[in-house]
Amino acid sequence: MNWTIIADSLPLYAQGARLTVLLTVSALAIGFGLSLGLALLRNSPNPWIRLPIASYTLVFRGTPLLVQLFLIYFGLAQFGLLRQSILWPWLSSPLFCVLLTFVLNTTAYTTEIFAGGLRHLPPGEIEAARAYGMSPWTIARRILIPAMLSRSLTLYGNETIMMMHATSLASTVTLLEITGVARNITLTSYILFEPYVTAAAIYLCLTFILVGAFHMAERRWVDARG
Amino acid sequence: MKPLFRLFGAAMLIASSALQIQPAAAQKVLTIATDATFPPFESIDSSGKVVGYDVELMQAVCDAAKLKCNIINAAWEGMIPGLIAGKYDALISQLTVTEARRKILAFSDIYDRPVFRFVAKQGATYEFTPEGLKGKTIAVQTGTPMDAFVTKTFPQADIKRYTSGSAPYLELASGRAELHMSYEAQITHAFLKSEDGKGFGLLGPRYTGKDAPEFGEGVAIAINKRNVELVKSVNEGLAKLRENGALAALNAKYFGTN
Repeated sequence: MNWTIIADSLPLYAQGARLTVLLTVSALAIGFGLSLGLALLRNSPNPWIRLPIASYTLVFRGTPLLVQLFLIYFGLAQFGLLRQSILWPWLSSPLFCVLLTFVLNTTAYTTEIFAGGLRHLPPGEIEAARAYGMSPWTIARRILIPAMLSRSLTLYGNETIMMMHATSLASTVTLLEITGVARNITLTSYILFEPYVTAAAIYLCLTFILVGAFHMAERRWVDARG
Repeated sequence: MKPLFRLFGAAMLIASSALQIQPAAAQKVLTIATDATFPPFESIDSSGKVVGYDVELMQAVCDAAKLKCNIINAAWEGMIPGLIAGKYDALISQLTVTEARRKILAFSDIYDRPVFRFVAKQGATYEFTPEGLKGKTIAVQTGTPMDAFVTKTFPQADIKRYTSGSAPYLELASGRAELHMSYEAQITHAFLKSEDGKGFGLLGPRYTGKDAPEFGEGVAIAINKRNVELVKSVNEGLAKLRENGALAALNAKYFGTN
């Protein structure tokens, strides 16, 4: 066992953890906002709205995240037209490509989680809201979104943990998050157990924080509603 | 019930005969790992087989030394830890012999002395000094001598590290990386001759082990330190190939020189 290398690399791990948290929080925050809207539209009676969203979630839930990341990072870069376009400064950045992929992926899952929560809403609640003369916007804000979120909180909590763990894929396109740091230590110091156990311990701590946060959220919003 | 019983009996028979074969096959099959992302030295062909210079050389060494070898593809990052842990018996992957690696691994005799070069867009000029490469993006495979060299020599460059030997070329072609450093033979024979390599060329000094300690003494087959016996047999095999001209023939086949 060679733990001195790990002790010397702790600043690297701290930087890696910062990037992991940054990727997780940004992907989840953007994904959450997009999913709220998409989930409402996902249950729309209009097929021209409903079906495109259904196909998007099908594609992004039906393909592995690593494949999506490689297609966006390496794949798009092969098109000369794209390399000359105004998008290239964005698409040439690994951080942007990784975030784009993560947002697209987590939004697909979260949309389905939220839309599923909404499907079990008793139709009476919406009818009652209409009878009160609420506008569609008010219904969404006061009835649909709170019902959707409280019903899907547990599932969504799992999705956030999966997303956090999935950020480890960012290391495949040069980003040095926690897994990237562990891999670099393996490649330069020829030890494997110590760096990856350290990485696992950090992920575990981060997961505990997420689990704790969702536990509190559930107590605050779900249990209170009964 | 009866056919099922018969099937069970047949399975037992096969299992017991397999158990009997074990001690009869006195010679253990050696597992030899290579990181097959480094053509023309090691790569996967369209049928999924590991092929290349190193693979052919290793097979010839095994034949000459009367060893039974199974050459498999393994991820670069797990290779050296895997060898130390005993998962693999040897590694052949254009591994440069460096002081740091000598501390933890045993090596066969050196079979090649590679030259290390930069590759970039044709017409581009760079000054290969720490100031000259300041802010330039250089792609390298992590944990290779090239990585160690650019990290130490050009600390102000923007160094991008990849886990495979092939990804840096994609980055070079897309323009995300301006420069890539690798083995000259690899750049010439795997990249510049391909469609993607059009418009690119070698540039900068021809670095060897004499220029910087990071480039090591040469490339050799890595073997577990405890396995002194295998080092001896592999060296005997290599010596035979040198004598009978097979090594020279292999060099001619792949690189047109010896």
